[in-house]
Amino acid sequence: MKAFANMKLAQRIQLAIILLMVVLFAFAGLTLNYFSRTRTISNAVKEAYVYIDKLIDIANIIEQKTGKGLSSNDIFELKPYFTKPAYNKTDFPSLISRNGEYVLHVTRQGARLPMKTIQEIKNLKANEGFIHYQDITNDIAENRLLVYKYYKPYNAYFAISVSPTEVLEQVKTNRQVMIIIVILASLISAWVVSLILMPITKQLANLSARLKQLAQGEIPPAIKVADRSELGTLAESLNSLIDGLKGTTEFARQIEQNKLDFDFKPLSKNDQLGMALLQMRESLKRAQQEETKRKEEDNIRTWINAGLAKFGDILRQNNNNLNILADNVIQNLVNYLDANQGGIFMFKEYESEKHLELLSAFAYNRKKFLQKSIMLGEGLVGTCAIEKQTIYLKEIPSDYIAITSGLGEATPTSLLIVPLKLEDEIFGVVEITSFNEFAPYQIEFVEKVSESIASTLNSVKNNIRTRELLEQSQQQREEMAAQEEEMRQNMEEMQATQEEMQRKNLELEIITSAINQSLVSCSLNDDGFIVDSNLVFQEMTGYSKVELEGMLLESLIVDTQREEFSKLWKSVLNGQSINTTLHLIGNNGRERFLLTSLTPGFDPMGLLIKVLLLGHDITESKKIELMTQQQAKEIEKNIKRIKKEQELSNLRQREMETLLEALDQNCLVSIIEPDGLITYINNKNVEVLGDKKEDIENRYLQDIDYTAKNKPKEFERFWKSLHKGIKQTREFSLNVKGETRWVLENFTPIMDETGNLYKIINIALDITENKRKEMELNAVIEQLKQQLKK
Amino acid sequence: MPSQRMQVTDQDLQYFVNTIKSVSKYDFSEYSEKSLKRRLQKILEDYNLDLTSLLTSLRLDKDFLEKVVKEVTVNTTELFRDPPVWHLLRSRILPRFKNNKTINIWHAGCSTGQEVYSMMILLNEMDMLDKAKIFATDLNSDVLDAAKQGVYKYRFNLGYLDNFDKVIKQNPLNFEEYNDIPYEKYFDIDKVRDTITMKKFLTERPIFRKHDLVVDGNIFFAKFDLILCRNVIIYFNYSLQNKVFKLFHNNLYPKGTLLLGMHETILGPWASRFERLGQAYIKK
Repeated sequence: MKAFANMKLAQRIQLAIILLMVVLFAFAGLTLNYFSRTRTISNAVKEAYVYIDKLIDIANIIEQKTGKGLSSNDIFELKPYFTKPAYNKTDFPSLISRNGEYVLHVTRQGARLPMKTIQEIKNLKANEGFIHYQDITNDIAENRLLVYKYYKPYNAYFAISVSPTEVLEQVKTNRQVMIIIVILASLISAWVVSLILMPITKQLANLSARLKQLAQGEIPPAIKVADRSELGTLAESLNSLIDGLKGTTEFARQIEQNKLDFDFKPLSKNDQLGMALLQMRESLKRAQQEETKRKEEDNIRTWINAGLAKFGDILRQNNNNLNILADNVIQNLVNYLDANQGGIFMFKEYESEKHLELLSAFAYNRKKFLQKSIMLGEGLVGTCAIEKQTIYLKEIPSDYIAITSGLGEATPTSLLIVPLKLEDEIFGVVEITSFNEFAPYQIEFVEKVSESIASTLNSVKNNIRTRELLEQSQQQREEMAAQEEEMRQNMEEMQATQEEMQRKNLELEIITSAINQSLVSCSLNDDGFIVDSNLVFQEMTGYSKVELEGMLLESLIVDTQREEFSKLWKSVLNGQSINTTLHLIGNNGRERFLLTSLTPGFDPMGLLIKVLLLGHDITESKKIELMTQQQAKEIEKNIKRIKKEQELSNLRQREMETLLEALDQNCLVSIIEPDGLITYINNKNVEVLGDKKEDIENRYLQDIDYTAKNKPKEFERFWKSLHKGIKQTREFSLNVKGETRWVLENFTPIMDETGNLYKIINIALDITENKRKEMELNAVIEQLKQQLKK
Repeated sequence: MPSQRMQVTDQDLQYFVNTIKSVSKYDFSEYSEKSLKRRLQKILEDYNLDLTSLLTSLRLDKDFLEKVVKEVTVNTTELFRDPPVWHLLRSRILPRFKNNKTINIWHAGCSTGQEVYSMMILLNEMDMLDKAKIFATDLNSDVLDAAKQGVYKYRFNLGYLDNFDKVIKQNPLNFEEYNDIPYEKYFDIDKVRDTITMKKFLTERPIFRKHDLVVDGNIFFAKFDLILCRNVIIYFNYSLQNKVFKLFHNNLYPKGTLLLGMHETILGPWASRFERLGQAYIKK
């Protein structure tokens, strides 16, 4: 069955028809065969009756001859009629007695019919008839037909045993012919059938191939329509299906290529796919519209977010320089909004005068910085600052901007002024103008950014202030340290100088006394008058000191030498040291020869102070003149020394004064004796502490010092340390005219050669300003700390 | 105030000087004892050390030694310090070199360089700067660095401007004379940063070198027309002073001038080899 199911339809039809033909023909043949056999058998039976009747006719004749009953004569007489078969080879006639004994038979004479058969015949009670029986000869059973007729005279049966096989032998050939006819007929009918089915199956195959392609999603070419049969209709439908599919596919393609306005008509109102595609296109259109809308919204959101992030970054950077920050902000804001001009005004408060100051401006990509100040409430910008509300104007008179906005001469179409406010506190104003209108979201964006700017301005202001304060205090501290170090070095230099001078003074004193004992010495002013003279000079000239003062040296020189001396004097005044031998005439005409050196003395600026004359009286001994000259050379050297030493000692006092003067300018200087007596205070003291000079000088430190009065022990320690030569520093504050003044005192003990205290110098600094700043700073730091805590 | 300390004794000073001499080329043995003692005292106080640990550190730590040496030296200077001296230079000393082709000037112990810049400003005003070759030395490399920078505090050194006015703008010999030379010609004043910054044409001119007057001699292979060594020899003893005078004398051209500090004088053997004019000593 399975093989059948797999067959093609045409094959199935062919097979079924062939089988049906064969069965039909076979049935007809068999029927014919059956009827011919029955007729043949019955014909044989009839023929047997005829043959038996003939035998009976013969027997009747014999009976008449022989008498009644069966006698051997009869048998004899009858015998020849029984020796040959009737119609066929084995249908020998027989005479059978009532008990079944073959009375007369070619071969079976004496034998018996089977008991069963004779019994059946007897039971039939008919005189004639036929019966099927099994003839057993030589143990071979054979179905045979016994046709009989009772013959009363003999009380026996005339019978003929017909073999059906033999009878039917002639029918057999008919059957073979019939089979051949059946086969031929079947073949012919099969051929005819397949001939009829051929185009149909072909069309079917075409259809099925296309349907198969359709099933696989392909679109096959159209099919040829052969006729108007059902198959033709089918093919037509298939073609229109293919056409429809082609159209729909094209439509779907267009949709895929996003051509949503492609002209498409569905195949019918019930075209599910077409309608579905149309619906899809509609929803796609809708989705696209929504997408466009959403994209726009997204773009705006992105624009806002990116902008906020961008300005967040800008505000984070540069927040230590307000101007750079403002420049960056306004430049970027104007560019970001695609506007044309912009300005940032910062709110400032100077001694209760509130105004807005233009921090940065941006115009046409060119910075147009104008130092502009706008009062609160003045123009639109000032109004915005007061009302703390955004102002947006779409129509601006052409001359309006220049007057009120402060951004110059341009005449833009839109003006946006946004306050920079943080928690309702105003920090400034941003003004932006554009030739385009501002969208609401742009205005909203500027407002948001403004908040950030305000917040940053606030913190930048705070930062800058804090940093300034910190830097200030740090700088002050460093300066203090540097100043202290410098002071220490100055002190060291002063001390070293002092020591050097002391050393030289000592040397100088020795030399001076030596000179005064042995050499002639006097000093002259630049006009040549004697200012001072020593004893040796006085003795030599015979004049007293008073007499010599104011005397021209030239007047002592002999006339002959005066001209020469004038020349020498000029070179001395020009700065040259001159060695010469002077011929002097003293009191009472004393004649003296003086080996002399004349040395000019200059001050640091190179101005002549005096001329020093040193000399040796060489009059006394000409013998020792040479020696004296020798000595004079030696002396000459010393003279130079002395000259310088003298000058130095002169300068020393002046120097100290200069130093004190210098100290005077910056420091509070006071000089204290070892017993505490204050011998000197400078004007700075008076200036800073307000004490009058006469109130302090010539009083004892222990009497007026605050520490001495209130902390005697501490003062004692302090005082003892000073006596040991240890420098002391202390700091104190004082109320001067209602103002607290801070003073840093440095007490420097000056020890003499023997290590005893000679003097105490107190150099004090007014550090009030530093203290105040330090306190201010502390206050600010404290304030910041509290802010941080908040 | 630092706590009370033992005073530095002569013995301590000897140890200190010997230690430094043994581990470095610095020799303070001929420095003025009193001054050196005070410097040592100051160092001990500043570093809060006793002498033994100071000497140990000096032996072990070269950098520390350099630092201590720098602290021993005193670097006091200012722009146009002691204006009269500058007037002397202007009116009496520098004009002598007016016709020289070059003027060699050595600032020995130039400290933070104010003196060098003062000299250059004065030379420029006298149209002599182009001829001048300026050499400047100091023992302390830190102050040399500062000198090369030519940047000074403004507020603390307001006196500089006074000195500038006194030397450059005014003439003490003629009170009616007033030369309005702007400060900006030579230096920029930044009041916010609190700085005085020397112009580049000044800072790039001098040759600055580290130099020890005690041991290094003349390192410049040149003789000088002018040597300035102000407020240096006060830290030296008599013997070292004479050595230094000898060094200067040997390296001066004839009629070359040595300029000492306001309170410094040549006494002793070298006195006669110089002619004195105020603080200027002219080689005979």
